[in-house]
Amino acid sequence: MRIACARVAELPLAAELRAHPELRGRPVAISDGAGARADLLCVSREAARAGVRAGMVAAHARSLCAGLALRVASPALEQTARNALLDAAFSCAPRAALAPRSGGAFAGEAAVFVDAAGTSALFRSEAGFATALAARTGALGLPADVAIASSRSVAQIAVRQLACASGADADGRVLALPPERERAFLAALPIDLLDPGDALADALTRFGVHTVRDLLALPRRGLATRLGADALALWRIARGESIETPLPEARDRDLAEAIDLEAPESRLEPLLFVLQGLLSRLIERLDARHLGCGDLDLSLDLADGGRHARRIGVAAPCGELRVLIRLARHALEARPLAAPAVGVRIATRATPLRRDQLDLFRPAGPAPAVLGETLAALHSLCGETRVGAPVAVDTHHPDDAALAPFAPPAARETREREPPFTGALALRALRPPVPAQVRQQGQQPAWIRSAIANGRVVRCAGPWRTTGGWWSPEERFAFDQFDVQSEDGVVVRLRFDHVRREWQIDAIYD
Amino acid sequence: MASPSPVPTGLPAPSTRGAKLDRLLRDLGSELRRGGSDPRAARADLATGIPALDGLLGGGLARGELSELHGPLSSGRTSLALALLARATEIGEVVAVVDAADAFHPASARSAGVQLERVLWARPPGVGEAVRASERLLQARGFAAVLLDATGRAAEWEALPAAIWQRLTRAAAAGDAALIVVSLRRVTGSHAGLALQLQPRQARFTGTPALFEGIEVEAAIDRQRRGRPGRPASLSLRTAREG
Repeated sequence: MRIACARVAELPLAAELRAHPELRGRPVAISDGAGARADLLCVSREAARAGVRAGMVAAHARSLCAGLALRVASPALEQTARNALLDAAFSCAPRAALAPRSGGAFAGEAAVFVDAAGTSALFRSEAGFATALAARTGALGLPADVAIASSRSVAQIAVRQLACASGADADGRVLALPPERERAFLAALPIDLLDPGDALADALTRFGVHTVRDLLALPRRGLATRLGADALALWRIARGESIETPLPEARDRDLAEAIDLEAPESRLEPLLFVLQGLLSRLIERLDARHLGCGDLDLSLDLADGGRHARRIGVAAPCGELRVLIRLARHALEARPLAAPAVGVRIATRATPLRRDQLDLFRPAGPAPAVLGETLAALHSLCGETRVGAPVAVDTHHPDDAALAPFAPPAARETREREPPFTGALALRALRPPVPAQVRQQGQQPAWIRSAIANGRVVRCAGPWRTTGGWWSPEERFAFDQFDVQSEDGVVVRLRFDHVRREWQIDAIYD
Repeated sequence: MASPSPVPTGLPAPSTRGAKLDRLLRDLGSELRRGGSDPRAARADLATGIPALDGLLGGGLARGELSELHGPLSSGRTSLALALLARATEIGEVVAVVDAADAFHPASARSAGVQLERVLWARPPGVGEAVRASERLLQARGFAAVLLDATGRAAEWEALPAAIWQRLTRAAAAGDAALIVVSLRRVTGSHAGLALQLQPRQARFTGTPALFEGIEVEAAIDRQRRGRPGRPASLSLRTAREG
């Protein structure tokens, strides 16, 4: 088994820079709270060059670096960054899992394990796979180091060692550790890289155990008796013998991006600006997994403690930022917020993009991915219920028409139909029907006045009575329909609505 | 010098061959391309299936161009547009209707032979949205025809700047789609490759009690970029039984 471990050293900082790319290259520090006495959790390289260190209080850091951008650690951003790291892993291999959160000196790191077995056909070598994985995480705004070894624990130790040996001035370093070199590689490492926990680390230091070699020199049974099960687990890790479950395949397709706002906001444009950032990061993650964006679940935490949640329909899997922003704008405009928002979360279910089988002798039609984006764009332009394939509803009501999701069948499925009736006279619907004033002679309309047709009725056919929906007062209808040519040359379908007791024109022959 | 090779005896008889060829042309109509140096000339046309009109148009409406069907109400514009969609969907093409007038009648379209599952029906709320939707559909490349119904809000359509039609014409050319604009009066100006004017001539009511049978219309070419306009053609449009 070969396992790759991709590690982001300072997750709070990386998550902040991912959400605010404009901060890259500037001195940035992440604190554990607001105010001058808050402790710094991690600092960027630029801040470190100015003398700012993790563990300082915010006021001290500001005195050292006037241009320091100070941000409070955001659990929401960190969680989405972890998930993005997992997406990068799944873009390279089918099995991956996030590493459990570490403690002590590695509390700020985030790591993901990826099954690297059998990837040589795609990436030529393990080093090539590691480089590709580092590039994918970097593309999602999370620069990471990658190491490959025979087990998760050894890979994680190796990637930590990579960062310690090379310093903090670079990202994207890779290491492929051959199985036969693992024991020698581990032997020379300090015991702290195994993340033993504070109590066990103190005990081992008292015993004079500083490196993995020292640990392995101790008898297994005696170690377990004196220092307990944790020490035994550490010993197993040092030998590369830790028991590990297989990595799972990607099943969860629910993706989310969230951010806590620095100040409450209720205006549309600033909220859309925030949403643009969230959606662009969501699309990057979907792109990495070659998936499209399904319906969006928008949720805003409000300053009054409430929550504004709504679902934004996306007509077809889509990965176009402009389209999704337009849909979000329509959603927010349609239902304004009851109170300013303090947090924004957007989630979607990743949906496979449409596929199609081409035919040598049939028209190709629009490419499935392009069609999906076009449908989503039309959806945002026309409205949620105004785009689709027309359906002639099987009722007697003359106004009934419906829309179905547009998914044209393959050309061969429709070959055996009869050729169309040529020269058919079509109807133009009037929605809603246009009211008309009608003067009758006997039962026939003799004179008409409306926005469509006016004057003496030249020719008339009918009436034809159509009734239905008698079982429901709301659905009940009863029409007497006429085909009428008026003096101005227009031929219309005129009807008398017995329920409303009025004349209407519901269609024009054209 | 070698003598001409004899005709292979395995070929079907001329009469059978003609029927098969006709069927093949009907099935593959839009896929057949004529060789030549001018790609515009090589574009296949979308036929209406109405012989008199196809004869007038020189085969049908050109793909990659803007064509405008204009005329008063009850002049047959919608019927001709649906005839085009029917022929296109019959051979497996996908088409779109940008229904700015919200007048598309699915049952009537189905009666005219349109395969509704191959039609994308967009009902934009305004003229601006209709233009953007049309452009988007043309850019998608793969729709054989985009029908833009510009009948309602005539003043707004007439006030559209020429640059809009230029943009749509370019998008149609790039997407190799026939952009068909249906209007009351000409709105596309000189950007239309073809402008077909339709006029109602007579409504046919027959029998006692009277039954509406259809209308007679006259089609005349206002403007044609390819070739010279032919003589006006009389067309007979008959009511189809819905369903």
